[in-house]
Amino acid sequence: MSSVVKEPRAPNVLGDLGIGRVSAIAAVIVVASAVQSTVLSYATILGVIPQVVLVVVMCFAFTDGARVGLVCGFFAGLLQDLQLPEGSIIGLYALVYTLVGYSVGQLREFTPEESVWTPVLTVAAATAVVEASYATLAIMLGQEWVSLTFTAKVIGLVVLYNTLLTPLVFPLVRKVADRFRPERVYRW
Amino acid sequence: MYRRNGRGRLLLLVFIALSIIIITLDFRQGDGGPLQSAKEISVAVVAPIQRGLTTIFRPVGNFFASIGELGSLRTDNARLKAQVEGMEQEVKRAEALEDDFAALTRLSKLDAPYTAGEQVFAQVIGLSPSNYRWARFIDKGTDDGVRKDMAVINSDGLVGKVISVTPGNALVLLLIDPKAAAGARIENRRDTGKIQGNGEDQGLSLELIGSNSEVFEADGVVTSGQDGVFPPGIPIGLVDQISGDIRRPDQQIIVQPWVDFTALDYVIVLLDSRVEVASERETK
Repeated sequence: MSSVVKEPRAPNVLGDLGIGRVSAIAAVIVVASAVQSTVLSYATILGVIPQVVLVVVMCFAFTDGARVGLVCGFFAGLLQDLQLPEGSIIGLYALVYTLVGYSVGQLREFTPEESVWTPVLTVAAATAVVEASYATLAIMLGQEWVSLTFTAKVIGLVVLYNTLLTPLVFPLVRKVADRFRPERVYRW
Repeated sequence: MYRRNGRGRLLLLVFIALSIIIITLDFRQGDGGPLQSAKEISVAVVAPIQRGLTTIFRPVGNFFASIGELGSLRTDNARLKAQVEGMEQEVKRAEALEDDFAALTRLSKLDAPYTAGEQVFAQVIGLSPSNYRWARFIDKGTDDGVRKDMAVINSDGLVGKVISVTPGNALVLLLIDPKAAAGARIENRRDTGKIQGNGEDQGLSLELIGSNSEVFEADGVVTSGQDGVFPPGIPIGLVDQISGDIRRPDQQIIVQPWVDFTALDYVIVLLDSRVEVASERETK
């Protein structure tokens, strides 16, 4: 690694992240954000946009663990917040995605086998939690909101759509994560 | 095999704190400040990719949509050619009438129609990534004369207004967004009120001012021009459902918009919409 490690006993907070790796992850998140707001708007289910950025965050959390997951979650959420029209609460997606990145990363350590079903089921469950908590927090913080029946419909469809997208997104994310993974340097 | 969680938890706390600080900043500042510039930067980063993806994928989407219509294309072509001939004549006639109309408007000091001013055509390149907000990114910005609070229409009627703008792009808040509102009027009558968005497929809510207003199903609703944003007379939609007593505040009037908000590919920004209202105020 080219970065200077000041003290071998106290590694930087992001662990073994190299510059190439950080840019690869950032590029995936930015492209996912653009795809979510363009291509997928032609392929909505009953008018609902899948939250593919969220899927990407959870996949990174799955391949790389809680710390990478939560940092990805924060920046991906913030990017999504900044794309919203005024009247939305900036920082709310960042908060919720940070929490989900961390939780999914933690959860992965309890799932021993390398099956594609684990990420799919995790994404399904976590999407439901994320969407419900975002709606609840936004309403609590006083954002103008649509009707609750509409919200319930949206949450259901997003869970369905995200679940369907995971088998496509997960191998892609894993490829990027593995490709740019530097030789592991374990500092305990 | 993986690292212990101690530092992970610390990192989590740091980023939760960061998120909460940003939320607080947003509440404190509203418009402007560092978050505004962050917003502009993020749009500048994502917009070129959106533009590229839209250019690539819209023809693909349209191609698949048109496969089913291949058989009828030939007959359509012949029919349309004949129609164009007729329409060219119509256009000439309309141009002559428009000149007469402009002269008459000047004479009678009527308000110029909203279509009279300068307009800019814009392509929709992306949408708001949330399922609870309805907004579109367009490929025109301050470089093309687009400013905040300009009215946006398409050939069917009112689409929304520009709420933020960068040199090359602008964000249009659609009328169906829960935060969107416009001054509205029942067509051909004096009853005015406010129209408000409810989200996609939920229709628009119309609130009339005054207890002696009258409203019937299938009444047309247009902009009133009293909100300082939208010029008067832009078609909005038709009254679809009326429930409750007209004299009670809990009365619900649902308006079905003319514009199909799920299929917005091109829109028109009315560049003169703000100026017009300003000059109107000066003369009054």
